[in-house]
Amino acid sequence: MKKTISYILIAIIVICSAVSLYTIFLTPAATSDSDLNQNTKPAPVVKRVTTPDQSKAEVPAGFEKEEPKVPELPTGENLALNKVVESGLHTDVYKPKNVNDGNVLTYWEGADFPNHMKIDLAGTYKIKTAVIMLNPAAIWGPRTQTFEIQVSTDGEEFTTVVPSTQYQFDPQTGNLVIIEFTPTDAAYVQFIFTQNSGTFEKGGQAAEICIYE
Amino acid sequence: MKQKNNNFSLIILGIIALVAAAFTAVQLFVPSLAIRANSGPKHSIEGNADASEKTPAILTLYDAPKTVTASKDATLTIEGETVFVYDAVVNNTHSWSKTPKLSSTPMAYFDFEGEVDVDILMTGLDKPIESAVISPLSAGVQAEVKEGHVRFTLSKPGQYTVQFNGSPNKAMHIFANPIEKEIPDKNDPNVIYIEPGDWEIESLVLKDDQTLYLSGGAILRGSVVADNAKNVSIRGRGMIDGSLYESWVKEGEYARVPIDFRNSRNIKVEGIIIHNSNAWCFNSFQSDGAEISNVKIISARPNGDGFTFQSCLNYSVKDSFVRSWDDSLVVKNYGINSDNITFDNIQVWTDLAQSCEIGYETNKGKLKNSKITNITFKNITVLYNFHKPVLSIHNSDDALVQNITYSNIVVENALMGRGDAGDNNQLIDFNIAASGWSSTAGRGIIKDVLIEDLTVLNSDVGVTPPTRIYGYDEEHMVENVTIRNVVINGTKITDLKDLKAKVNAYTANIIVE
Repeated sequence: MKKTISYILIAIIVICSAVSLYTIFLTPAATSDSDLNQNTKPAPVVKRVTTPDQSKAEVPAGFEKEEPKVPELPTGENLALNKVVESGLHTDVYKPKNVNDGNVLTYWEGADFPNHMKIDLAGTYKIKTAVIMLNPAAIWGPRTQTFEIQVSTDGEEFTTVVPSTQYQFDPQTGNLVIIEFTPTDAAYVQFIFTQNSGTFEKGGQAAEICIYE
Repeated sequence: MKQKNNNFSLIILGIIALVAAAFTAVQLFVPSLAIRANSGPKHSIEGNADASEKTPAILTLYDAPKTVTASKDATLTIEGETVFVYDAVVNNTHSWSKTPKLSSTPMAYFDFEGEVDVDILMTGLDKPIESAVISPLSAGVQAEVKEGHVRFTLSKPGQYTVQFNGSPNKAMHIFANPIEKEIPDKNDPNVIYIEPGDWEIESLVLKDDQTLYLSGGAILRGSVVADNAKNVSIRGRGMIDGSLYESWVKEGEYARVPIDFRNSRNIKVEGIIIHNSNAWCFNSFQSDGAEISNVKIISARPNGDGFTFQSCLNYSVKDSFVRSWDDSLVVKNYGINSDNITFDNIQVWTDLAQSCEIGYETNKGKLKNSKITNITFKNITVLYNFHKPVLSIHNSDDALVQNITYSNIVVENALMGRGDAGDNNQLIDFNIAASGWSSTAGRGIIKDVLIEDLTVLNSDVGVTPPTRIYGYDEEHMVENVTIRNVVINGTKITDLKDLKAKVNAYTANIIVE
């Protein structure tokens, strides 16, 4: 009996030794919960970009608006101001009467070239200067427009006083063109627009058209 | 005596066996006390050595200009750091109006690399958060909602939209950019460097070889224009914002398009945000060669088209986001032909009009032999379309529209037909017809169109949205349209009937596979 117990105890010792040796040398370390908690990811590298003290949007240095170099306008009465106008199709809300309402912030835009813009001067005058203006704000950006100027004494038969010419409009120079021509009797003045680089080549534009003797 | 010795030996053996058994039990069942010859791959008992093997995430956060008030609808932290949340102006109405009712939704942006934990607390919802879903769903980002917080982890830069309680209301747009590289030198004479802050430049004209750099944390109020310029770039993490200006439809106001390229070549635009334009957002006319990436657009006001390309050549837009109150992605002819334009990996949310549109103006310049060719929309996720068709060609002039590909398009919410959409509520709409936008008397042709791998995940009450394919007459047909591998609400579409397609007599070779 004692021999049997001895054998059993020896067997226990041998088995336990074998298992222990196996776990010590052939088993990788287990991960305990405490080990997981210690495996937090490293803190991120954070860069924060700050902004200056400002109370409103500012014009950055170097972008201050330059005063445009506006040519001197003719003296005398603008014969086109608030007179009756007529044109073909116009775009959206940019209706014909914007072209001589005395407000350079409103404008007419034609639809589908050629566009015509006819102004009834309500009397016959010997005219020699036309000024075509666009909004002088920088956002309008430079553009070219091509148009012809015609005059009539009866509103039906028109003759050309300035043939079709391309003009450069630029906010840096007031976004206007001053066109002088041979003094001619006119009761009606008509502009035929055929090109405008500012409207995907779709229609002429004018914020104000002024006519002078 | 011998008996006593035997007993003692037995006792010693017993003690040794007991100790051996106890030791073995510890080795097997108490890891913290176990002895191991091989240390673990990640952890030592001390722990720190293993954490240091992980690369830390990199995070760049941009304060907003001090002129801007943070959103009261949401707070956002990334890795415990507070991120500024903007109130982006959006439009949740779906009927055109000159003076629509505007709303706001939270928006935030930052740069990162690695893995970052995100935590959102929405204070602007009218009820507690019960669920949160992150789009695009294909990104597989899962959110946990706990005690009012929405938490998730991001590991890949991109644009993510988080919706709360199954509603698009107050969805948060998160623009998680990659870390910026190669920031231009502010002393380079060809670089226009806009620092963080709030700046007004009514019209910034880019000339040849110039780069506009808009720092993260900068807001530029105005328009950036290039006319007849080459080798021009716009990049950075900042924002071009139109909020100072009334809508262009108001009398006396005009379109202040945030980015406007005309007749220009070799263009690069990367990383910036366009917000609340008073008209179109990113416009190009008759320009050739553009690489546009990681640009995010949110518009809400009339004619707020996202990317609108008129008569452009060789344009690539990728990895970008558009939420728009008008067409999100649109190609037209206003002058010369359009060719080789690709939209790749773009997310759109279309509150009004079309998501991926060719037309209506396909020859506004009334040129001879007008063509729109080789246009590709691929890897597009439509988060929402509430209004008009998702994939559409409206050939309203006399152009030939040919070689159009739509590939891997996922529509998460196809809710077309709301507001004043009328019968323009299709999933697919290819139509040759005159319209209020027509310029030519004659009509055009649509041919060689491929739609492959189109999936609609959700539509109204699980209904298949309609499709329309209409030619005009025998000389102006829609021909050779292959629609392959379409799945709508989990159902594979096998024919035109499944697709609920109306196809008129002036079509040929319309195939569903």
